[in-house]
Amino acid sequence: MADTITLNIDGKEVQGRPGMTVLQVAQAAGVYIPTLCYHPLLEPYGGCRMCIVEIEKMRGLPPACTTPAANGMVVKTYTPQLQELRRAVLEMVLSEHPHGCLTCERRERCQPGDVCLRNVAVTERCVLCPKNYRCELQVVADYIGMVGHEIKLAYSYRGLPLETMDPFLSRDYNLCILCGRCVRVCQEVRVNGCLAFTYRGSQALVGTAFGRPHTESGCEFCGACVDICPVGTHMEKGTLWGGFGDRSVTTTCPYCGTGCQLKLEVKGQNILRVRPDPDAWNQGQGCVKGRFGIREFVHHPERLTTPLIKKDGRFEPASWEEALDLVARKFSSYKPDEMAVFCAGKCTNEDNYVMQKFARAVLKTNNIDHCARLCHAPTIPGLLQTFGSGAMTNPINDLANSELIFVIGANTTFAHPVIGMKVKQATRQGKKLIVANPREIELVRFADVWLRLNPSSDVALLMGMARAIVEAGLEDREFIAQRCENYEAFRESLDRFDHAFVEKTTGIPWETVDQAARLYAQTRPAAILYAMGITQSTHGTDNVTAVANLAMLTGNVGKPGAGVDPLRGHNNVQGSCDMGGLPEYFPGYQRVDNPEMRKKFEAAWGTDLPPTPGLTLSEIVHAAYTRELKALYLMGENIALSEPCVTMCQGAMEELEFLVVQDLFLSETAKLAQVVLPACSFAEKDGTYTNTERRVQRVRKAIDPVGDSRPDWWIVCQIARRLRGKGFDYEHPSQIMAETARLVPQYGGISYARLDSGGLQWPCPTPDHPGTPILHTQTFTRGKGHFLPLEYRPPAELPDKAYPLILTTERSIYQFHTGTLSRRVKGLNDLHGEEWVEMNPRDAQGLGIATGDVVRVTSRRGEVEALALVTEASPPGVVAMTFHFVESPTNVLTNPAVDPVAKIPEFKFCAIRVEKVDGKREVHPKGVEAVTR
Amino acid sequence: MEGNRIRYIVKVCQGTGCIAGGSDKVFASLKEEIERNGLKAQVEVKFTGCHGFCQQGPIVDVDPEGTFYTRVRAEDAPEIVASHLREGRPVERLFYRDPLTGRAIARYQEVPFYAGQQRLILRRCGHINPEDINEFLATGGYEALRKALLEMTPEQVIAEVKRSGLRGRGGAGFPTGQKWEFCRASPGPVKFVICNADEGDPGAFMDRSILEADPHSVIEGLTICGYAIGASRGFFYARAEYPLAVKRLRIGLQRARERGFLGEKILGSGFSFDIEIREGAGAFVCGEETALMASIEGRRGMPRPRPPFPAQKGLWGKPTNINNVKTLASVPLIIHHGADWYSSIGTEKGRGTLVFALTGKIANSGLVEVPLGTPLHHIIYDIGGGVMGNRRIKAVQTGGPSGGCLPAHLINLPVEYETLAQAGSIVGSGGMVIMDEDTCIVDIARFFITFTQKESCGKCVPCRVGTRQMLGMLEAISRGESVDLDYLEKMARNVQLTSLCGLGQTAPNPVLTTLKYFPEEFREHIEKKHCRAAVCKGLVKAPCHHLCPAGVEAYRYVRLCGQGKFTEALLVNREKIPFPAVLGRVCVHFCETRCTRGKLEEPIAIRALKKVAADHYPPEEAFRGKRLPPSGKRVAVVGAGPAGLTCAYYLAKLGHQVTVFEALPLPGGMMRVGIPEYRLPRDVLDKEIEYILHAGVELRTNSRVDSPEQLLQQGYHAVFLSLGAHRGMRLGLEGEDGLVKEAVAFLREVNLGQKVAVGEKVAVIGGGNAAIDAARTARRLGAKEITLLYRRTQAEMPALPEEVEEALKEGIKLVVLVAPLRVGRENGRLNLVCQHMKLGAFDKSGRRRPEPVADSEFSLQFDTVVAAIGQAPDLPKSLGLATESGGTMKVDPRTLATSRPGVFAGGDCVLGPASVIEAIAQGRQAASAIDRHLGGTGDIEEQLLPTEVGATPAFPVDEGEKYRPPMSTLPAEGRANFEETELGYSPSQAVEEAHRCLNCDLEKR
Repeated sequence: MADTITLNIDGKEVQGRPGMTVLQVAQAAGVYIPTLCYHPLLEPYGGCRMCIVEIEKMRGLPPACTTPAANGMVVKTYTPQLQELRRAVLEMVLSEHPHGCLTCERRERCQPGDVCLRNVAVTERCVLCPKNYRCELQVVADYIGMVGHEIKLAYSYRGLPLETMDPFLSRDYNLCILCGRCVRVCQEVRVNGCLAFTYRGSQALVGTAFGRPHTESGCEFCGACVDICPVGTHMEKGTLWGGFGDRSVTTTCPYCGTGCQLKLEVKGQNILRVRPDPDAWNQGQGCVKGRFGIREFVHHPERLTTPLIKKDGRFEPASWEEALDLVARKFSSYKPDEMAVFCAGKCTNEDNYVMQKFARAVLKTNNIDHCARLCHAPTIPGLLQTFGSGAMTNPINDLANSELIFVIGANTTFAHPVIGMKVKQATRQGKKLIVANPREIELVRFADVWLRLNPSSDVALLMGMARAIVEAGLEDREFIAQRCENYEAFRESLDRFDHAFVEKTTGIPWETVDQAARLYAQTRPAAILYAMGITQSTHGTDNVTAVANLAMLTGNVGKPGAGVDPLRGHNNVQGSCDMGGLPEYFPGYQRVDNPEMRKKFEAAWGTDLPPTPGLTLSEIVHAAYTRELKALYLMGENIALSEPCVTMCQGAMEELEFLVVQDLFLSETAKLAQVVLPACSFAEKDGTYTNTERRVQRVRKAIDPVGDSRPDWWIVCQIARRLRGKGFDYEHPSQIMAETARLVPQYGGISYARLDSGGLQWPCPTPDHPGTPILHTQTFTRGKGHFLPLEYRPPAELPDKAYPLILTTERSIYQFHTGTLSRRVKGLNDLHGEEWVEMNPRDAQGLGIATGDVVRVTSRRGEVEALALVTEASPPGVVAMTFHFVESPTNVLTNPAVDPVAKIPEFKFCAIRVEKVDGKREVHPKGVEAVTR
Repeated sequence: MEGNRIRYIVKVCQGTGCIAGGSDKVFASLKEEIERNGLKAQVEVKFTGCHGFCQQGPIVDVDPEGTFYTRVRAEDAPEIVASHLREGRPVERLFYRDPLTGRAIARYQEVPFYAGQQRLILRRCGHINPEDINEFLATGGYEALRKALLEMTPEQVIAEVKRSGLRGRGGAGFPTGQKWEFCRASPGPVKFVICNADEGDPGAFMDRSILEADPHSVIEGLTICGYAIGASRGFFYARAEYPLAVKRLRIGLQRARERGFLGEKILGSGFSFDIEIREGAGAFVCGEETALMASIEGRRGMPRPRPPFPAQKGLWGKPTNINNVKTLASVPLIIHHGADWYSSIGTEKGRGTLVFALTGKIANSGLVEVPLGTPLHHIIYDIGGGVMGNRRIKAVQTGGPSGGCLPAHLINLPVEYETLAQAGSIVGSGGMVIMDEDTCIVDIARFFITFTQKESCGKCVPCRVGTRQMLGMLEAISRGESVDLDYLEKMARNVQLTSLCGLGQTAPNPVLTTLKYFPEEFREHIEKKHCRAAVCKGLVKAPCHHLCPAGVEAYRYVRLCGQGKFTEALLVNREKIPFPAVLGRVCVHFCETRCTRGKLEEPIAIRALKKVAADHYPPEEAFRGKRLPPSGKRVAVVGAGPAGLTCAYYLAKLGHQVTVFEALPLPGGMMRVGIPEYRLPRDVLDKEIEYILHAGVELRTNSRVDSPEQLLQQGYHAVFLSLGAHRGMRLGLEGEDGLVKEAVAFLREVNLGQKVAVGEKVAVIGGGNAAIDAARTARRLGAKEITLLYRRTQAEMPALPEEVEEALKEGIKLVVLVAPLRVGRENGRLNLVCQHMKLGAFDKSGRRRPEPVADSEFSLQFDTVVAAIGQAPDLPKSLGLATESGGTMKVDPRTLATSRPGVFAGGDCVLGPASVIEAIAQGRQAASAIDRHLGGTGDIEEQLLPTEVGATPAFPVDEGEKYRPPMSTLPAEGRANFEETELGYSPSQAVEEAHRCLNCDLEKR
């Protein structure tokens, strides 16, 4: 048989597959071969020489980890000669590694703090190493039998100082055994290259370029080096000496929409450390926020621990009874149209489901929306119109099958680091990458073509590319004919995008557009990744449509390695949309104005439901401002920072008669509330998140709720019950999911029982359905792919004399959204703790601005102050800021003008001016390199 | 017109070595001079690449006749032009001089260095302008490429290379054709070929020279390789430290492209190919093919395990073939001349030629090309001209730091992949370093391991840590610390077995071979704290001191002599030896053998300085030194030679009551009865013995002692036997008895004043100091014709060279390469039948073994025949003590204690015939041991000169070469009596000579 091979290992016949190494076959067969440098994620290395074996008819002693297994091989893994040589090599390893305890006969009986009577420096003992009992060197040393063995070699302690100056990481290179795993994971898996081998010969070690600190060496602080280090060289700070957890809880990361699976190591009621789950789809990889940014916010002293009621302008603690009664009483006093609720992309599917059910069935209003409005609102109409389903078509790991990846309007390595990592991995494999971005983001370094388009010229670029493809005859005619409709109308609309127009609008020479188009069309399968650069625009829906058109034009839909992949922002923004946290949809994108649907939900919920779509988020804010709206119930959102033109938004909140905010912390929005309800964090509750690739994954309770906080679904239910809502007596979120499954076809087959053995990608209509990794494989969800003709529309507010520059909003890898969680983590603040106004040297020079100067940024809506960062990463005329920092609330400046279809505000484009303010700060460029590039 | 015909072509070498020597200036001034002399039309001046004889550079060749000028300087240009080019008289002073004979050799092809080679790969080196493709084409260049592309299929090319038997010249010797075949067979449209020009061995420069002198031949080879394999891109991976090679390659590639030898559809064939140069940053490991590819790809040069082999997955994952410069340079030859021709060169297992960079202590260092199977000695002696300065070869390192250190006795080894591997070394990329006795074997192992441990990439544990651990052990040995040599060897084997790539797998070779071939030298360091080459800085304060058996601090007294403080200089001597005046005349001066100054011109005349100092006798009180109160112990010393008297002297100073028993009527042992008076005047000896007796030693002459037991019974607490070696060795000839005198007996009779008649014609058989003594004594006894017969050559004579020289001055005839066969009496004379000898293979001592020449017997007639081929102790049976197989006494090497408690022995009866200084050293050792035996501390050291009376060193000014003042002697004609021949230095000469001292002891360590 071609797909299995048979080897004889230590006298036993074992099976393997072609392409496996001898070590992999042995491990699969349960044969232990000692290794120190091998790791399944990494390319074979063969450096530690521990896994040497004897193979008949092969010269010398080949290392099992690099030797390809072949049919009929006869392998011996344990012979006196091998053990002897392994011991000799291990002696060499130990001659550079403090090994007093490794060879000590009484190691088992020795406790930390015991005085060691042997001739071993007290600080160089396993019992004092934080990696003790988790150390792979200990395992290997025991296998080879080093206990009681005298090592004759001269011991050399490197005597290097410990490296503890970075946030999160601590390194003791005196323990390093040069297995190179950290270097390789940094280069091969993270494709980062912060760590490398330094020097050579016996001086060889691991380190950064020129020995510079990690903050200046491109380190992303992802912690992969910590997780992969077999000894105690790379460790995490904070809980370095915290010992071991007494249990490990697998859950889903609460930061971005990637949905990395994490293992929370818990001791008592404390999270000791968080490690990405090596057995999950993310293969043990995470990012700085997931890896290091969780423990601190969960256990933060500022967590809300009791309900608060504002009395005479001041918050006073209240009992749950008191607070809930007050909320219920107030809500019962308004008409449905006078009330609105916000659910949240941060909360679980169950929380969101209960919230929207509460709004519709109890408050009788469809005035329900959430932050999806601010990020991916256009994705839903854009992709629904064209494909019939507004979600990522292909899974994240499918990027490995792509021959080309086209990243447009997304700074993937910052906003979705693990997906960004996959993109970089693809380029390392020689796959092509096109990046379209006005800013020189990190991925540009890896790109074959960089389309540095003018901000907000995406439609012109994408239609220009489509035109180039059609002109070159590279369109997939068969796909178009069989799977799509309305092509002719679309093709005609390309006439409006002649070369000169595209060049002028995008600022990119036609040759480059043409080159990118040909590359995209000819390198198949090709995937397109996009994010807020496409959606946060007054023509966001057009942008999304243009992306969909381009993919259909080249037949890049419904196939492995192809697809259109909107990268969702929040951990559960996909799920909160799925759960109907939108004014026009019931759960599962079933329209509220469709009588059939409404009937179905009325039947299920045992009550009548409002028939017309409600207000969107921006409309709700506007209605509050005009006092048409009187009461607002807000779950886990911080719109006082995230809304465009937040000054107006804050004013609107102040106009409300009754504002209830439910959150972990007293956020900027919560401060404006009349009642604040303490919710518990993801670590304290059960539930599910649906990540950007439609994968429904479990959130598991790891610790008890902090203080008197409660899960969101429980709080909502309590209020609903007080308002005589029916069907709010859930005892466990699994019951909520069961109800969802009954009502939402895509979730029909999903249950907690199934999720326990891994996530499921919707649509998963029945309990025996395996889930759907790739959408639109046979037909589009809507039947045929629908081409839509497009026109170019300029942004809502163009620069002029008074406001000559363009402001676009950005993200930092070290912060998340409005910083509610990430700003509570000291290390993240150390890495990126204040707003930088990134501007091109040409603009800066004209204004006399240098890096570190305090500048005032002014738009027609307000002004903020922050530090200038002069960088080529921003093109001339374009200024970039994040919106993570309450001290410099960037959204004071942004334009609340919205897309006519999706009602998303134009965060990515507004006119500003920048001026220097007196004062200059000493610049700490920690992480700035990473911030800028 | 006569005047416009080119009469001469002057070729100036422009290799890196010659340029460093100033050949670019030579080139310019020759041009200028020729122009000035109006010879521009008749003389063409051009430059060539490296001749491979850089040591003699800058080299200038004058064609057509091939005059070979060496070490030419710009100032020589006018003479060359005026004398040679204008008047046709070559400039003899610039000819090459044979280092052995000093003969000037005019023609290139007659220089032994070249004559002994078979230059194929190097055939154009030094003869063509490497930057002119026309010269390459004129010498058959690109013919092979034409043939391959237009007349052969790739498969045929591979078959031809396979049939030629060519093996990789980069080190491992893998069959080249087979390697090509693998790569060709690998599936895939994109393949690469790489020329490995990352030459990194210390002392190896053949790849560089080939690229500098004949770049096109390598380009041609790589292109043929690309054609055979099906690659369209090739790479040169050359070190950035080779700027000239890279420049000439670059020019070569450009010219080749212009002429259509590279690029699209080469020579009209369907084959397109081009080559890029990649410069490496000089990591040794990048010579390893997988590390080299990583480096080309822009990654850290670290090797990876194979499989997959580069032929399967190489550069950027594509099938790749890598060959060394020399391998590729051999390819055009094979294609051009055919595999049959090529495979006729060399041996069964190794066809073709190898290029070596011959360096080290060799007379002619440079690039050497010889067929595989050529014996090492041919390379070293016939081509290399032997070891520099007429020293003895100790070892040969082949294959650079990855190779092994082969001892002198393996010098007959034919150089082939397998033979060298069996001996523990490798051919490697072709470095060959010759080492002489000034090389410490521990130090050499340490040096190579230092290199490899620095150059290890750090990836695999055994190479990274193992080499450093070995280095640590070798450093400890070089400091004289105790190291378990078996463990070191095991460690080396483990590193060999478990390392990832060739670097680590071969790095232990120098350690393993030195341990295998020179174990005693390692043990000497550890057990005796002695480095015989006086190299290991942890053990050696100054070589002169380190090599003195008695530990005389020569550097101190030389320095004092330099200040004219001869009395103080004598005191420094006196601290260690009681016979400074004797030694100042007859010492074999080990101190001078490793004198650092001797590595420049000549060693300091340390012995002569000692004599000057010793002859300035101060009052006795000045050097009384140690004198302990009486101990009440009695010691008997048997034999009043240098060992016995020294022992007695020190024991007496320690307070013991010492009696010396001497069988002969006069004291002094061999100093009196062995060494002739013309070398050691008897008053000098008497005076020093007298001084010993003054120290409280009782002497009983004519007192033979047959058993130490008796002495112990007489109440002596300890006995020291220093019986000497007074029995001459017999020749073992037919008819020898009664006809042949033994030199020892002969000298003894003469020295004790007996009348000895020698007749007119005397033969002395042997080559040692005793033979010279016998011959020169015979001269003084009135012999008219004295012949020294020696079976090897003068170079191998063990006698001190200055003694041989004096003997020759005195008219003594030296006949070498003869051995006696029979002796008989005929017509009143002795008829000595001899035969001629020739030097055969090298023996264990690194000398060539004399072998009889068949049918070469001849007879000589003499009145007296003296045999001086060695001597041995003459021990009476009644001693009742254990002996060694050679007839010497068996003693504990540390204490000199014999098998009988209380009885010690030393001097020649233990050592066999040795020198005065060695006997004195044993006397000192015995005195110390006996004192300990008697309950003392054994401390015989004394300080006669307060250290503050040291002298400020005179550091020699750099004023060029400086030699010893010549030694004045009696005129040779007047040496009829036994008057002292050597007159010694005057004080001012001594001061001047001492100023040459380099003050090694002050070197920063």
